[in-house]
Amino acid sequence: MDMDTQQKWDAASRTLDLMSFAEDRRIGPYKRRLFSEMRGATLMVAAGTGNDFKFFPPNMHVVSIDISPKMLERAARKAAAYSGSIELRKMDVCDLEFPDSSFDTIATAFTFCSVPKPIKGLRELRRVLKPDGQLIMIEHVRSGIGPLGIFMDFMTPLTSRIGPSLNRDTVGNVQKAGFRLRRVENVYLDVVKIIEAVPDNDK
Amino acid sequence: MLFSIGDYLAGMLIGVATTFAVRAVVSPGMDMVLAMLIGMAAGTIVHLLLGLVLAPLVGMFETMMPASLIGMYGGMLFGMRDSMAAGSHTLTSAATVGAIFGAVVVLGVKVYDHILRGAVFEADY
Repeated sequence: MDMDTQQKWDAASRTLDLMSFAEDRRIGPYKRRLFSEMRGATLMVAAGTGNDFKFFPPNMHVVSIDISPKMLERAARKAAAYSGSIELRKMDVCDLEFPDSSFDTIATAFTFCSVPKPIKGLRELRRVLKPDGQLIMIEHVRSGIGPLGIFMDFMTPLTSRIGPSLNRDTVGNVQKAGFRLRRVENVYLDVVKIIEAVPDNDK
Repeated sequence: MLFSIGDYLAGMLIGVATTFAVRAVVSPGMDMVLAMLIGMAAGTIVHLLLGLVLAPLVGMFETMMPASLIGMYGGMLFGMRDSMAAGSHTLTSAATVGAIFGAVVVLGVKVYDHILRGAVFEADY
């Protein structure tokens, strides 16, 4: 278990709901559309404070993990209000306790900006995803727009101390981890993206 | 609609605050290169601090992206102007220019967002 990451997100759990108040309303419709694709056994990586549970399709059973116990404490209250069932478990995405090929759908929301070893974490997702499963993500990534990309590189050493890295190449990392892209959509500039992928069974 | 108005107000506020910060630290006659670097640093600090306050109200990304352009690059421009004592001799006129600069950057980011938004890759499987 990565204790530095756990402590960082334990601390962030106090302000996460406040900081994401407007973002929830602006990005929420995209999350609802993305999560409507959930099917079968579903894993939600990084429950956070449970803000995304309200965007899940009704009456599903979802397993949701997070590295931070403080996040999970807050998420438990929102999980109780969900129409289906949400099983919360404390787990590091880089060291999943699930057997191979356990899930039909794996979902993430602004997660791989914060995983210290993103390709390792994505390879774990590849392992626990069934060969005909799907990975659906909404993530923020480094912008390809010159001035914004430079700003993100410049700020990442600061932001990564208290929260996410701003300059991740998550689309590339997904492919490096053994997935094939199914769909990529820009949600805000080229920074916030929906990424849908399936296991590359040739790798 | 409210969020869109908020985006413009946030951009104008950051533009004005950057103007004030740069004017406080850059004086006429200062070496222009130093003035641009100091202006960039001042603008960066201003937009990061204001961004923390504005992000819960208008959104993290919708604040941060225009704010970075206004703070960092606007700070450089304002620093260059103030070192030359060129234009905007009063604080009010400088603040007005800062507000206009902020609004124009927000507009530009919105136009660019509109162009970029949507699917960029779709496989047929």
